[in-house]
Amino acid sequence: MRRRRNGSVWMILPLYIFTLVFVAGPLLYMFALSLAMPNETHGVDWNFTLENYKRILDTVYLNTFAQSFKLAVTSTVIICMTGYPFGYYMARMSESRKKRAMLFLMLPFWVNSLIRLYGWIIILQNKGILNFILKKLGIIEKPLKLLYSYPAIVIGMVYVLLPFMVLSVYSSAEKLDWSLVEAARDLGASRTKAFWTVTFKLTIPGLLSGVILTFIPSMGLFFIADILGGNKIVLVGSLIQEQMTRGGNWPFAAALAVVLMALTTIMIILYRRITNVRELEGIG
Amino acid sequence: MKKNGKFAGFYLGLMFFLMYLPIGVVVVFSFNESKLPVRFTGFSLQWYERLFGNSAMQEALVNSLILAVLSCLISAVIGTLGAVGLFRIHWKTKGVLEYISILPLMIPEIILGMVLMAFFYMLGLPFGMLTLLIGHTVFCVPYILMEVKARLAGMDPSLEEAARDLGAGSFRAFWDITLPLIMPAVLSGSLLAFAMSMDDVVISIFVNGPKLSTLPIKVYTQLKTGVTPEINALCTIMLGLILFILFLYVFFGKVKSRLFK
Amino acid sequence: MKKVTAGIFCAALAMASMPVTAFADSDEMVLYTWEGMFPQEVLDGFQEETGIDLVYSNFDTDETMLEKLSMAKGGDYDVIIADDYILENVIKEGLAEKLDKERLTGWENINPLYQGQFYDPEDAYVVPYGAGIPLIVYDPEMVDIEITGYEDLWDPSLNGSIALTANYRVINGITNLTLGKSMNEEDIDSIKETGEKLLELAPNIRLIQDDNTQNALLSGEASVAFLYTSQVTAALAENPDLEVVYPKEGLGFGVMGMFIAGDAPNKDAAYAFVDYILRPEIAAQCFDYIGYYCTNKAADDSVNPALVVPDSVKSGEIVENVSQEAEEQYSKNWTEFRAACN
Repeated sequence: MRRRRNGSVWMILPLYIFTLVFVAGPLLYMFALSLAMPNETHGVDWNFTLENYKRILDTVYLNTFAQSFKLAVTSTVIICMTGYPFGYYMARMSESRKKRAMLFLMLPFWVNSLIRLYGWIIILQNKGILNFILKKLGIIEKPLKLLYSYPAIVIGMVYVLLPFMVLSVYSSAEKLDWSLVEAARDLGASRTKAFWTVTFKLTIPGLLSGVILTFIPSMGLFFIADILGGNKIVLVGSLIQEQMTRGGNWPFAAALAVVLMALTTIMIILYRRITNVRELEGIG
Repeated sequence: MKKNGKFAGFYLGLMFFLMYLPIGVVVVFSFNESKLPVRFTGFSLQWYERLFGNSAMQEALVNSLILAVLSCLISAVIGTLGAVGLFRIHWKTKGVLEYISILPLMIPEIILGMVLMAFFYMLGLPFGMLTLLIGHTVFCVPYILMEVKARLAGMDPSLEEAARDLGAGSFRAFWDITLPLIMPAVLSGSLLAFAMSMDDVVISIFVNGPKLSTLPIKVYTQLKTGVTPEINALCTIMLGLILFILFLYVFFGKVKSRLFK
Repeated sequence: MKKVTAGIFCAALAMASMPVTAFADSDEMVLYTWEGMFPQEVLDGFQEETGIDLVYSNFDTDETMLEKLSMAKGGDYDVIIADDYILENVIKEGLAEKLDKERLTGWENINPLYQGQFYDPEDAYVVPYGAGIPLIVYDPEMVDIEITGYEDLWDPSLNGSIALTANYRVINGITNLTLGKSMNEEDIDSIKETGEKLLELAPNIRLIQDDNTQNALLSGEASVAFLYTSQVTAALAENPDLEVVYPKEGLGFGVMGMFIAGDAPNKDAAYAFVDYILRPEIAAQCFDYIGYYCTNKAADDSVNPALVVPDSVKSGEIVENVSQEAEEQYSKNWTEFRAACN
């Protein structure tokens, strides 16, 4: 058994080498950067300091973390609720339809996410499509201020990240052994009961990996809040962007990024503890 | 049993409609006469003309395609082998490795781009296609790795074991048994990676060389004068391109299946 | 099958290393700036005239440019165009070429108004390429008051209707001007006071955005906007009924400058290009295209009259680099302000 396993070492080596050199290396550099001091003209002075981390403790900056977290959780919850049935129904389609649905799900990735958001601006704006329809239907008299609001940001987040959830739920529901559900029904379980006791339980791994796939990027995403939210809530990502550019303070940006990574990691660990499904999950 | 009710059909229809609504708007506005995405003032092809009016854009398009194909291929190899390897091997460090490999998804691109650039300078790599390729592979690998891992999670390892018991080496067992089973995940992961690579601006700007440009860089750095509907045109073209590829795929797939009947 | 995979891999590697050798061509030069800074005819004209192959390379932010240039130790790129404040750093770091004016026949064409600036007081390194003055633009049909200065932006009747550009030094700067201070105030307590004043503006803000800010005004999403020059030009082109305000408290003023990299691989070509752009007829074409104020005096006659410097610009103030502490306080003001806008 052992001998045989070692036969697979060649498979994992490229990943090990690539990750250690080109991912861990730069990230270590980032960590080092977070302990340095900004230079007056540009770049950094390599003097050790914890000042950058201390600065984060200011309420202004702590708030940005709170905002990012709140937005990430809100979006992830909504994505779960809308994405689960999406993936589940897709998995129950006939074989040929499944393939087509899969393609339609992947296609939007081919349109830049920024541009898809511009599409939403045109839909949501004052003289936009949605206001036009609502007005025609006589539901509203004056156009609603839909754009540059919190709901607009959440719509954008859900829109961009939903496919990841759908893909993940779909692939676990697709592998599902439907005869188990039938057996439960034969034994007298109602349709609802059969769903919750069998189907849902067996597709939990997909749901959970979907949560991770959406939560991880949503902590750092900020361009949606910029475009659909009019830059009015400050997320960690946009703070980092600002410090990297006009602020010219790389060490502070690096410290923010390190804290962001650490927080995201802690959230994922906690989440795994609570759900206690490490073994079930696709993503280890 | 395995059939959707009316509600399911309605729900899927609605979701797909919402997914495609903004894309439809983008396509429509790529033919807009006005530079403003406010009203549709008239049909015009000027944004397409501008997109292809200069040779720099065409060169950038070719670069983008080469880059996307290569980074997608390399990450598919690294990611797929890695996922299968992680599935088979039980090293203590494997959890850490997997964690590190998905870190690039966690932090904003701008800082990743900057540290990659500084790191490449430290290694003394020549800036150009090589650095772009490594940079893109860094953020493409996680997608493929995760897709394949999720697919492997529920797989029955006994199939592969059986193949090995019959004397197949680790490569043969992988090639003949595992790969066909995980192929859908490899493909969807690769499609994602390809799209992500075709799309990337921030990391590319940091790691590209002085004489090499990608199409997204060309389109998104019109910051001083305002980004124009050229981007809409670009997206429409990309959609058209993928639809064309899919059409070919389906068409030849049908021909092939008829030939082999 | 294994061979196929190996073959693909080798091809991939070969292609990856290709561009390094493929561009050994000697007569080419690299122009490094944002995309869309030159009309295609101007670039083509230069290539035709000189036979020099022009590579147009792009960056998104000034800081990216500075970092890449400093990593290349002033090499790799030939001619660069960037914003005023970053030029100061470029020159301080010794990354720019001290211009040999003998080789620039069009040097005299430069409008002296844009010379002797803080980043290059002796005019030794920089050729200005376009200037901007951020201005208030509003739709008189949607606004009840008459706007004459920055102070009016604080008017309660403008609740939720202002679109702002996102440069925090400029927005802090106009708040300083409103309070009768310099845009480049360095005193920390005074900057904190600016922050408090800025917070009071928050309820009036509809959106903050740097790219295509004028669209919000034109679509009726906002009724007042504080815009960069190219955006003002674009807004007026679309809707001539908009009102443009030169705020009475004073003007903020920005210059983009062209310089030759200190260790430029093809200096001859770089000089030829800069001199080519200094020609009045070429300069006029360029400024008409980018929509910034014309910095070439000799081109004033042929350029779009709206792009000729108004006399009022003489009182304009440029946002300069301030101390690290002041910069941090400005950025903190801005973060607090944005958070309060929601």
